[in-house]
Amino acid sequence: MIEVGQQAILIGWLLAAYSIVMAITGGWLRRRDFVASAENGALAVWAAVTVASASMLYALVTRDFRIEYVAAYSSSTLPINYTITALWGGQKGSLLFWALILTTISAVVVLQNRHRHRELMPWVVAVLMTISLFFLSLVFFITPPFETLAVPAREGRDLNPLLQNYWMQIHPPSLYLGFVGMSVPFAFAIAALVTGKLDSTWIRTTRRWTLFAWFFLSLGNLFGALWAYEVLGWGGYWAWDPVENAAFMPWLTGTAFLHSVMIQEKKNMLKIWNMVLIITTFALTIFGTFLTRSGVISSVHSFTQSGLGPFFLWFLAFILVVSIGLLVLRLPMLRSENELDSLLSRESTFLFNNLILVGIAFAVFWGTMFPVISEAVRGVKITVGPPFFNKVNAPLGLMLLFLMGVGPVIAWRRASWAHLKKTFAFPVSSGLIAGAACFIGGIRNYWAIVSFSLVAFVLATITVEFYRGARARQAMVGDSFLRAITQLVAKNRRRYGGYIIHVGIVMIFVAITGTSVFRIEKQITLNQGETFEIGGYDVRYVGLEERDTLHIAYLMAVMEVFDGGNLVETLRPEKRFYKKPEQPTTEVAIRSTLGSDLYLVLGSYDAETRMATILAYLNPLIGFLYWGGLVLTLGTFVVIWPAPAAAPAAAYSPARGEAESRS
Amino acid sequence: MLNAAAEPSFQHLEESLTCQCGCGLTVHSCNHLQCPSALPLREEIREQMKLGKDEEQILAHFADKYGEKILSAPTTTGFNLTAWVTPFVVVAAGMLFVSFTLLRWRRRTVDPATTTPGPAQTSSSARAEHEKTLDRELEDFDL
Repeated sequence: MIEVGQQAILIGWLLAAYSIVMAITGGWLRRRDFVASAENGALAVWAAVTVASASMLYALVTRDFRIEYVAAYSSSTLPINYTITALWGGQKGSLLFWALILTTISAVVVLQNRHRHRELMPWVVAVLMTISLFFLSLVFFITPPFETLAVPAREGRDLNPLLQNYWMQIHPPSLYLGFVGMSVPFAFAIAALVTGKLDSTWIRTTRRWTLFAWFFLSLGNLFGALWAYEVLGWGGYWAWDPVENAAFMPWLTGTAFLHSVMIQEKKNMLKIWNMVLIITTFALTIFGTFLTRSGVISSVHSFTQSGLGPFFLWFLAFILVVSIGLLVLRLPMLRSENELDSLLSRESTFLFNNLILVGIAFAVFWGTMFPVISEAVRGVKITVGPPFFNKVNAPLGLMLLFLMGVGPVIAWRRASWAHLKKTFAFPVSSGLIAGAACFIGGIRNYWAIVSFSLVAFVLATITVEFYRGARARQAMVGDSFLRAITQLVAKNRRRYGGYIIHVGIVMIFVAITGTSVFRIEKQITLNQGETFEIGGYDVRYVGLEERDTLHIAYLMAVMEVFDGGNLVETLRPEKRFYKKPEQPTTEVAIRSTLGSDLYLVLGSYDAETRMATILAYLNPLIGFLYWGGLVLTLGTFVVIWPAPAAAPAAAYSPARGEAESRS
Repeated sequence: MLNAAAEPSFQHLEESLTCQCGCGLTVHSCNHLQCPSALPLREEIREQMKLGKDEEQILAHFADKYGEKILSAPTTTGFNLTAWVTPFVVVAAGMLFVSFTLLRWRRRTVDPATTTPGPAQTSSSARAEHEKTLDRELEDFDL
C-alpha cells in the first residue's frame, strides 16, 4: 500500500501539471480537444489523489507502523473513529486531505460545467489545477505522507489527546471545505478576467459554490469554537488566537462577497469591487493556512506547525501578482455606469454592510499582524490579545447588527420616507422596548443593552418581512396564513432563506453578548459532601470515581447539581490520563439548558484527603451558539436547495429579481 | 470593561496580563491550577494592589518587570496607539469613500446629460408624473 500511495501522488502531480499546460494552450489556441484533455486530466488527478488518500486510510486502519505518519499520529488502542480522523491530525496527512478535497471539488466543477461554460472552463481548470499542483508539490516533495521509518515502530505515539474529541472529527473537514470551496468562485473570477467575459455569468455560475463554501466556513468556525469550549476547559470558546482569526477573516470577506454580488446581479454595478472581494477572500484562505502552519505567530492550537511558511508565502505572492495584474489589465472593461436612484436604497446599505464586514476583517488582520509590525518597527515584542479584539470589534459588530436590520427592508432603487416610517415603526419600537426591558430587568452594562435592543430590532424587521409577504400572498392567492408563509419561502428561497440565516446570526450575537457580559465564575476547594452555590444551582461534591481502560485512565469528581432543592443532574468532570503519549487532559462536564450552561472543570484533587478543587462557570445564553448554528444551517438549505423545474410562476419571478429561476 | 479608572479590579488586572505558560490565554482565563506562570502572577497582582497603586501603575510595574509582552493588549501610547486607532481610521476613511461614491453615482443619475434620454415627446411634468407612478408601483411591488 505504501508504494501505491506514493505512486498515486506522483501520478496526480504529473497529471495536474499536464492539465495546466493543456488547459492554457487549449484556451489560448481555442483548441477544444486540448481543453477536453485538460478536463479529463483534472478528473484523473482526482482519481489519483483519492487512491493516495485511500491508501493512507488503509495504512491507518491496519495500523501500519512502518509509516512514520501512522506511527506518529495513531496507536493500536486508538478508537477507530479517531484512527480515521488521524488522516488530518498531523501536517502530512492534513495536506493530503486538503489535496483530496480540492481535487474532488475540481472534478465536480468540471463535470458540472464542461458543456455549459466552454469559454471559461479552460481557465477555470488551469486555476484549480495550479492550486492542486501547489498542494500536491508540498505533499510530494516537502511532506511525503508515506515516508517510512528506518525501523518499523512496534507501537504508535498516538493522536494528540486534545484532538480525540467529537468536534475534531467534523471541525477540520468543514473548515477545509470552506477554505477550498472558495477556490471555485475565485477560479471563475480569474477565468472571467482572462477571457474578458466580465458580465455576471461567473457570479451566477458560482453562486451555489460560494454559498457552499461560506456555509462550511461558518460551520468550521462554530465547530472549532465548540471544540475549544469542550476541550480547552477555560470556560470560553473564542480567544482571538491567530489560528481562529485565520479562519474568521475569509468568513468576513466571504460574507461581504455573498452580499455584494447581489448588487452586480441586479444592477450590474460593483464589478471591480466583487473581483477585489473574491481575490481577497481566496488570498485570505491561503494566508490563513500560512499563519496556521508557519509558526510565524505563536498560537495555542497549531497542531501542524512546520517550516512550510515560505512556500505558502511565495504561493500567496504569486496569486496576488497574477490576480491583481489581471484585474488592472481589465479595469477599463470593468468600469460600469453606476447609477443610484436614491441615497436611501438597498444599494447604499449593502455598501455599508460591505464596509463594516471588510473593516472587521481588517481589524482582525491588523491585530493579528501587529506583534510582527511592532517588532519590525520598535524591536519590541508585544501581545495583542482578547481585550484588544473585543474592544475594537464590539462597536463594529454592533454596527453590523444594526445594518442587518436595516438592509433587507430598504427597497432596491429608492426608499421613501413614508415607506420607511411604515416599515420601521414596529422594529424600532421593539428595539426600544427590549432595551427598556433590559434596563428594568437590572442590566446596567450598556453594551448588553444596545446589543439586545438591536437583536430585537433585527428580529422584528425579519418578522415584519415574513408577515407582510405572507399577507400579500394571502390577498393575491387566498391561501391560509400558514400556507402563505411556506409558499412565500418556497417561491423566494434566496430572500427568505437569507432571512433565516440572519436569524441564526442574530442568535449567535445573543450567545456572544450573554457569555461575554454575564459570565459567572468560581474556583472552590471542597471536601467530600460539601456544597457550593453558583447562579442559582447548588452543587454538591460527592466524591471521586475511577475507571481504567487500555487507552485511557479516568478520574472523575461526582458532582450532584440541585436546582431549587431538587437533584437535576449528576455531572462528572474528569481528569484523563492518556497512556500512549503519557499526557493528562481535563474533560469538562456541562449541564446545558436553554438559558445557560453550568460548566464544571476538575482542577486538582488530593488522593489522600479526597479534597477537590473545582472551577465552575455559568455561561448564560451560550446554547444560542449551537441553536444559531442549526438555524443558519436550515436557512442555507432553504437557499441552496435546487429549484423545482420552472413553475408557471417563473414568468413573474424574474421581475421580482428574487430569482429562484437563476440558479 | 470601559473605565480602567482609579479603583483597580483584580479581574480586570488578570485580564490585562497574558499568562506566560504557553497557554496563550490571559492570566484570568488560564485554568492550569498549578500553572507556573498564572499563579505567581496572580499573587503579584494582589501584592501590587495592597500597595495602593491604581491600575495604570500596576500594569506599568508588570510591563517594566517582564517586558511589554506580558500586557494582553497594546498600550495606548506611542507607536502602540496605531494598533488601536488604525482600524477605526480605516473604517472612517471607508465611510467617507463610500459616501462620496454614492453621492457621485447619485449626481450622475440625476444629471440629465448622462441619463438615458426618455421619449422625446414626453413633457417634463408628464415624465415626472410617470416616474412617481413607477416609484409607487415599484414600492408596492418590492415588499
